Amino acid sequence: MSEYSVVGQKLPRVDAVEKVTGAAQYGADVHPPGMLYGKIVRSKHPHANILSIDTSEAEKLPGVRAIITQDDVPSGRRVFATHKVLYLGEPLAAIAATDPDIAEEAAELIKIEYEILPSVQDVTESIKSSAPRLHGDETKDGPNRRSINAKIKELSSDQENNSAEIRKLEVELEKYTDEVYYNISAETHTEAGDVEKGFEECDVVVEDTYVIPRVHQTYMEPHVSVASADSSGKITVWASTQGPFAIRSGIAGTLGIPLTQINVIGTTMGGGFGGRFGVIITHVPAVLLSQKSGRPVRVQMTREEEFLDGRPAPGCVIKLKTGATKEGHILARQALAFWDSGSVSGASIGSTIRVRGVYKIPNIKVDAYGVHTNKSGTAAYRAPGAPQAIFAGESQLDEIAERIGMDPVEFRLMNMREEGDSVPAGGTEPKVGYKETLEAVANAAGWWEREADENQGWGVAVGDWTNGCGPGGVYVSVHEDGSVRIFHGSMDITGTDTAITQIIAEILTVPYQSVTIRRGDTDSAPYSTGSGGSVVTFTMGNTAKLAAEDAHRRILELAAERLNTDQDNLELKDGAVHVVTADPPKSISLGELAAYSLSTTGGPIVGKGSFARQPSTPALAAQIAKVEVDPDTGRTRVLKLVASQDVGFAINPMAVEGQIEGGVVQGYAWAMMEEMQYNENGNVNPGFVDYRVPTSADLPTVESVIVEVPAPNGPYGAKGVGEPPITPTLATMANAVKDAIGIRVSELPIKPEKVVEALKNNGHGA
Amino acid sequence: MTKHPVNLKVNGDEHDLLIEPRKTLLAVLRDTIGLTGTKEGCSTGDCGACTVIVDGKAVTSCMVLGVTVSGKEITTIEGLASDGELHPIQQAFIDTGGYQCGFCTPGFIMASKVLVDENPNRTEEEFRHALGGNICRCTGYTKILEAVIQAAEEIRTAS
Repeated sequence: MSEYSVVGQKLPRVDAVEKVTGAAQYGADVHPPGMLYGKIVRSKHPHANILSIDTSEAEKLPGVRAIITQDDVPSGRRVFATHKVLYLGEPLAAIAATDPDIAEEAAELIKIEYEILPSVQDVTESIKSSAPRLHGDETKDGPNRRSINAKIKELSSDQENNSAEIRKLEVELEKYTDEVYYNISAETHTEAGDVEKGFEECDVVVEDTYVIPRVHQTYMEPHVSVASADSSGKITVWASTQGPFAIRSGIAGTLGIPLTQINVIGTTMGGGFGGRFGVIITHVPAVLLSQKSGRPVRVQMTREEEFLDGRPAPGCVIKLKTGATKEGHILARQALAFWDSGSVSGASIGSTIRVRGVYKIPNIKVDAYGVHTNKSGTAAYRAPGAPQAIFAGESQLDEIAERIGMDPVEFRLMNMREEGDSVPAGGTEPKVGYKETLEAVANAAGWWEREADENQGWGVAVGDWTNGCGPGGVYVSVHEDGSVRIFHGSMDITGTDTAITQIIAEILTVPYQSVTIRRGDTDSAPYSTGSGGSVVTFTMGNTAKLAAEDAHRRILELAAERLNTDQDNLELKDGAVHVVTADPPKSISLGELAAYSLSTTGGPIVGKGSFARQPSTPALAAQIAKVEVDPDTGRTRVLKLVASQDVGFAINPMAVEGQIEGGVVQGYAWAMMEEMQYNENGNVNPGFVDYRVPTSADLPTVESVIVEVPAPNGPYGAKGVGEPPITPTLATMANAVKDAIGIRVSELPIKPEKVVEALKNNGHGA
Repeated sequence: MTKHPVNLKVNGDEHDLLIEPRKTLLAVLRDTIGLTGTKEGCSTGDCGACTVIVDGKAVTSCMVLGVTVSGKEITTIEGLASDGELHPIQQAFIDTGGYQCGFCTPGFIMASKVLVDENPNRTEEEFRHALGGNICRCTGYTKILEAVIQAAEEIRTAS
């Protein structure tokens, strides 16, 4: 029996009715009077010089009200390409017209002259000197050149005495000409211990190259923005975004408009997964078109535009080396990673260090580079960078376990960190539930008694992630009918408003149904961090708790006044304040107190919560899959998929299960199906026919197992739950396929043709 | 572009409209009539977010031209609840947590309604395959299937 009555319960969500009746208002459902329809004109080539843009014919089309190019961006910040395009689908102009079909016709009438340049799609090609350059000729050194150059620099302080040594090193440097990297957008290097020494002490060392494709978040609602600039210069933007406050500052920064002149109204979000923070994508063009036309304008992406000009998750190539003793102790791990950041910098290169996993690895070295290619830029996707790095790390772990003859679960348990253990290249571990979570999934899946027929296999993997944290504010007020209202500014990301409501109902001891929650726009609501990085339940949950506790204080103050007693004698329970010492019982309901408060000096019951930062605690997701591979067709069928996760405390177990199930299926898809494909002409699969995402027909039921090792600073011990479940699934699937067919597929996705090819190369079949 | 007269019967209401032949049923429902509960997820008939019921059949309204459905009975998500009572399928999606962001939900509910009306005795596996034309990116489908099975069970016992 739980000590709580509202938190910890599987309650229906606060937005239930509006979501199942079609009443919820998403961005594209906003239609202010006189609204025009925007259309972005996009590059038809992945790499080309722009010789001219002629809008004259389009301007003549009846119904066209505004056409903008980079010339219309007063701040000069790049919104549209001018002289050179760097990817297929890059924006060159935008149109606003009275009808969406007219806007589309007008887009076809804009004449653009291109001088086509060779393009590069692959990171391993892009770093070579032979590759076309996106931004210039600057080069960066690879790991060996870096260390040699560092030694030369050190010796150069005494050039005279060290000249011979320096010359030797310069000759050595010549051996690594292939480590002169071009088209590098960013780099990061991390080292702890001494990997070279570590590898020397190992009995088993495994090396492999892992290739993870670029995939799209594929939120079901394409990006959309409705902007309205009035004659005073005030701008209102209805935005489908995870972070209205970030969009406000983004528009302000891009267009040089003061914050006070921009109001962003976050509309119900049709999925985000990290990909819905972009400012330029639709919001800025919508504002510019509205300013120019004097009318509200909606800019809505099609699904094809999402694939061409969304901000998907970066693909990467990770060269990984791991060593262990024959007893099973992992001693060293080294990674060299190239992340495909597309035409801009970014990509999750910092996540490469996640190859350390949750293991005690005394020696680790990571060199990671972001590499430009002729593709759109990238953005976060559910635990950005972790699925990629953990795919490499957890795949290789199974190879080691196999070489030394250890069970993959036992091998992981043996190497897992515990409270107080040092985290390779990063502090010490707080109280964590790594082993509990892995054991939970192994028990639930029947790992220890597992059986497999021919062509069947079992795979296990774990992934860790720590929720973020950020600023937030919540107001809570109690009304004269005893109802409670919540006001805040954070976007609901699949259930967070429900969690906030449950927490406040719990503290004020009122029925869940009597609490309503309302999100304000950026003009009215207190500042809130964006809804990404699994921050919301942790941050807003804590904020909500503070607000409810503040209201609780005022409630007791009022009750003491009204009941003529000391606050110490009072207890708030079941929606009323009771005098604990009174016999016969004496109490006053919240509604009566709220009514009384209206004529007091101190005024109505309003609680305020404001919060920004507390240390978070890592969470583990552990998963086991059983698969069957058809050796003739190469098709992999999932027979069983079990996922456990340490969630700290499940404020709403139904919502938490939903996060686990959804995350696992996204991870499955990344492993087995999804891949944005490119050739010299750019992206070639910008639609759901060629970019397949899973449907209900592709998978069995995902079984979720909730583990609760409380986080000291989480509300009721809760950890962020959204991101962890995707982190181990890629490796779980690859490890299961390996177990089934005996061949390691280290390049995702594991499509049937790849399996058939792998089997053929290993002497199976015809 | 010349507009054509059509008579659309949507959720029991008659709409006499003049529409361009290039306008899809989805565009007419959303932009002309103002019923925005039906969603546009891909515009190519692949995701099922725009599913509505036309004469008892589930159709992706982004693939149907408005001029071709004149005189037909159309039901959208807004027409499913009656007299303030949610349809059992809508209630089942709430009870099981069968939705998250909710963008695909109207399409899933309409597709499920047709499936359950046709044959509430389908097995889980059959529902799984029959719902393969709708994409959800949040739930992983586990709770959507639970919802549809719960609704089918209720409709079976009620009839």
